[in-house]
Amino acid sequence: MAEITLVEAITQALAHEMQKDTDVIVLGEDVAKDGGVFRATVGLLDKFGPERVLDTPLAESMIGGLAVGMAVQGLKPVAEFQFMGFIYPAIDQIINHAARIRNRTRGRLSCPVVFRTPYGAGIHAPEHHSESTEALFAHVPGLRVVIPSSPARAYGLLLAAIRDPDPVIFLEPSRLYRFAKQEVKDNGQALPLDTCFTLRTGDDVTLVTWGAMVKETLSACDRLIEAGIQAEVIDVATIKPLDMETILLSVEKTGRCVIIHEAPLTGGVGAEIAAQIAEKALFLLKAPPVRVTGFDTIVPYSRLEKYYIPSEKRIIDAVHRTMEFT
Amino acid sequence: MKIFHLPDLGEGLAEAEIRDWYVKEGDRVAVDQPLASMETAKAVVDVPSPYTGKIIKLYGKVNDVIQTGSPFISFELDEGTIEQSKGSVVGSLEESSKKWDEGDVIIGAVKTKSPAIKAMPAARVLAQQMKIDLSIVNPTGPQGLITPDDVKRYIDQSTRIPVVDQGESLHGVRRVMANIMMQSHQEIVPVTIIDDADTTTLSKQVNITIHLLKAIVAAVKIAPSLNAWFDGKTLKRQLFDHVDIGLAVDTAEGLFVPVIKQVEKYSVEELRKKVDVYKRSVQDRTITASDMQGATFTLSNFGMIAGRYATPIIVPPMVAILGCGRSRDAVVAMDGKMIIRHIVPLSLTFDHRAVTGGEAARFLGAIIAYLQGTTY
Repeated sequence: MAEITLVEAITQALAHEMQKDTDVIVLGEDVAKDGGVFRATVGLLDKFGPERVLDTPLAESMIGGLAVGMAVQGLKPVAEFQFMGFIYPAIDQIINHAARIRNRTRGRLSCPVVFRTPYGAGIHAPEHHSESTEALFAHVPGLRVVIPSSPARAYGLLLAAIRDPDPVIFLEPSRLYRFAKQEVKDNGQALPLDTCFTLRTGDDVTLVTWGAMVKETLSACDRLIEAGIQAEVIDVATIKPLDMETILLSVEKTGRCVIIHEAPLTGGVGAEIAAQIAEKALFLLKAPPVRVTGFDTIVPYSRLEKYYIPSEKRIIDAVHRTMEFT
Repeated sequence: MKIFHLPDLGEGLAEAEIRDWYVKEGDRVAVDQPLASMETAKAVVDVPSPYTGKIIKLYGKVNDVIQTGSPFISFELDEGTIEQSKGSVVGSLEESSKKWDEGDVIIGAVKTKSPAIKAMPAARVLAQQMKIDLSIVNPTGPQGLITPDDVKRYIDQSTRIPVVDQGESLHGVRRVMANIMMQSHQEIVPVTIIDDADTTTLSKQVNITIHLLKAIVAAVKIAPSLNAWFDGKTLKRQLFDHVDIGLAVDTAEGLFVPVIKQVEKYSVEELRKKVDVYKRSVQDRTITASDMQGATFTLSNFGMIAGRYATPIIVPPMVAILGCGRSRDAVVAMDGKMIIRHIVPLSLTFDHRAVTGGEAARFLGAIIAYLQGTTY
C-alpha cells in the first residue's frame, strides 16, 4: 500500500473511477497533456485517451456549460478550474443550471457533475489564487460543497462526489496538496458525504474546522493537551449540507465551541454553524461560540499571508477565552 | 539542454549575487548537489542542483548579480532522466515527505456522551459570579433547563437555615413563645448583668421563689424604671406603681407565665398560696388567658432545674427579667479567709433603650441585699 499525498489521492480517485465507470470524463484547462496545473490529472490522458480527458480552451464559463451538458445527458464529468478565483465566469452555469436542473425538470434530469478546484492561501500565490469563497456556493440551494483535508478523505470523498447524482463543488486545499503523505488504499471505497469526521476526541472544547485549517487546528489541539485542555476536533468535510448532528452532539458534551475557517469572517460558514448552535444548543453552552477566521480583506500577497491565515496561536487564544467560563 | 533559472532564494527576492561556484562547466552533478553559494539581501545560501547531468554553461562569474528567474546554469541531462514537474505556474507548495498522522478518524460523531447541564446563559453568568456549581441547582425550566431564578433560589436556600418541610406546626404556648421571643430578639436592646447573693444566713424554711418575689418588690422601690412597659415605635415608657410579676412555669407543653398581680400587697404566706394555686392551674390547664397577661416584670427561677447564670430574654413590652440559677455552697473569700457560703446566682436582663445601666445595677444590688437580709 502506497503512501501518497493529497493531490496524488485525487489522481488515484479519478483514475479508479474512470477505470470503473466509462461515463466519467475529466475536462479543464491543461488537465490532459500537461496533467493539470497542480498535476492532479497527470497520467489520465495516457490511460484513458483524449475522448475522456479533455483540454479545454481558457474559458471557464464554457467548462461549466460543457460539464452541465454532459451531465444532463448521462455522463459524469469532473471539471477542473485551475484556481478558485477562476471559477466565477462559470457561476452562471453552476448556479442557474447545474444546481437547479433537477428541480427545473421536476426530477426528469439530474446533473451528476463534480466541479473541482484548488482553493485557499498559503502557497505564495497572487490573491485570486488564494481565496476561500466556499460560503458563496454553500449558500446556493442545489449545490453540495465538499472539502477534503487529508489524502484518505480526498480519495474517499472524491469517489463519493463523482458517484453522487447531483452537482458537487469539490474544493481542494492547495497548501495541503503535498504537505504530507498517508497510506491510502486504492480500493474504490467512498467515504460518506454530508458527514463530519471527528479527528480528535475531548471533553473540554469542540474545535470545528475544515480544509487546510485542519492542519493548524490539529497542532493547536496538541498544544492544548500540554496545557491540560482536551479538545475535540471535527473536520466538517461537507459544509453544505451541514452535519449539525455531529457538531451538536460534541458541543452538548463540551459546552464550548471554537469554529476555525480560513475564509473571511462575515457571512462565512462559521456564522451558519454558530447560529445553529445558538438555536439548538444555547442552553448547553458554557461559553459563547467563538470564530477564528481570515480577515474581511482580500488575501494579501505572500509576505503577509501568514498573518492572514488563522494561526495556531489565534486558535489557542480563542480556546483559552472560552475556557474562562467554567 | 535544460536551462536552470535562478529561483527566488527568499520571500520575493529580486536578485542574488554569486559568492562562489562549487562546479565548473563540463562537471557532472547529481540532484541536490550544491552548485553555488549565493548572497541575497537576507543571507548566504547554497543552491542545490535540480537535475542529474553534465553542466554545459554557467551564466555568470563570482560577484555577478543574477536576477531571479534569469538563466543560471544549463545542463545536459542524463539519458532516461525524466523531469518530474510538480506543476503550478504560480505559487509554491509546501512539500514534505512526512507522514500524515491523524490517529483514529471517527466518521460522524463520537457516540459517548456525558450528561450536559442545560442552563440559560444568564443562569450560567449568575452561577459563575456566585461561584455555584450548576450541577447541584434544581432545574425548573422546560426540559430540565436551569433558569436564573433556580440559581437565585439555590443561593437563598444555601444562605438560610434549611427549610423544615416535615414535622409538626407549633401551636398553643409554644407558638406564642416562638413569636414573642422572635419579636423580643428583633426589637429589644438587651444587657445582662450577673451577680451572686449570699443566703447563708437565710432560714432554710424560706421559699426562694417567694423570697425573690418580695425582693423584686423591694428593688422596684429603689429602681422603678425596671417595673415598666416600653414601646420602641412611639418611644413611650409607662412606669407602674404596682408590681405584677410574671412567673415562668415550665411544663411539658411549653412555657407558661402566670401573672401574680400586685405582689406588693401580699404577705409571704398569701404569696405562697397564690403561687401554688397558679402552678396547679397551669398543671391542670385551668389557667385562663387573663391570668397570663399584664405582667410588669418577669421572674424565671430556672435554677430549680439546673443552670447557674443565663441571659434571660425580656418579653415586650416589659423592660426587665430576673433569672435565678441553682443555688450552691461555694468557697468564697470573706474577711481575708476562704469560707464556704451558700450562693444564689442571679442574672438580670434589662432593655437598655428604657433602662440605664446604673438603674439596673442598683436594682440588682437591691435584690441581692433583700435576699441576704441586709439593706441596700
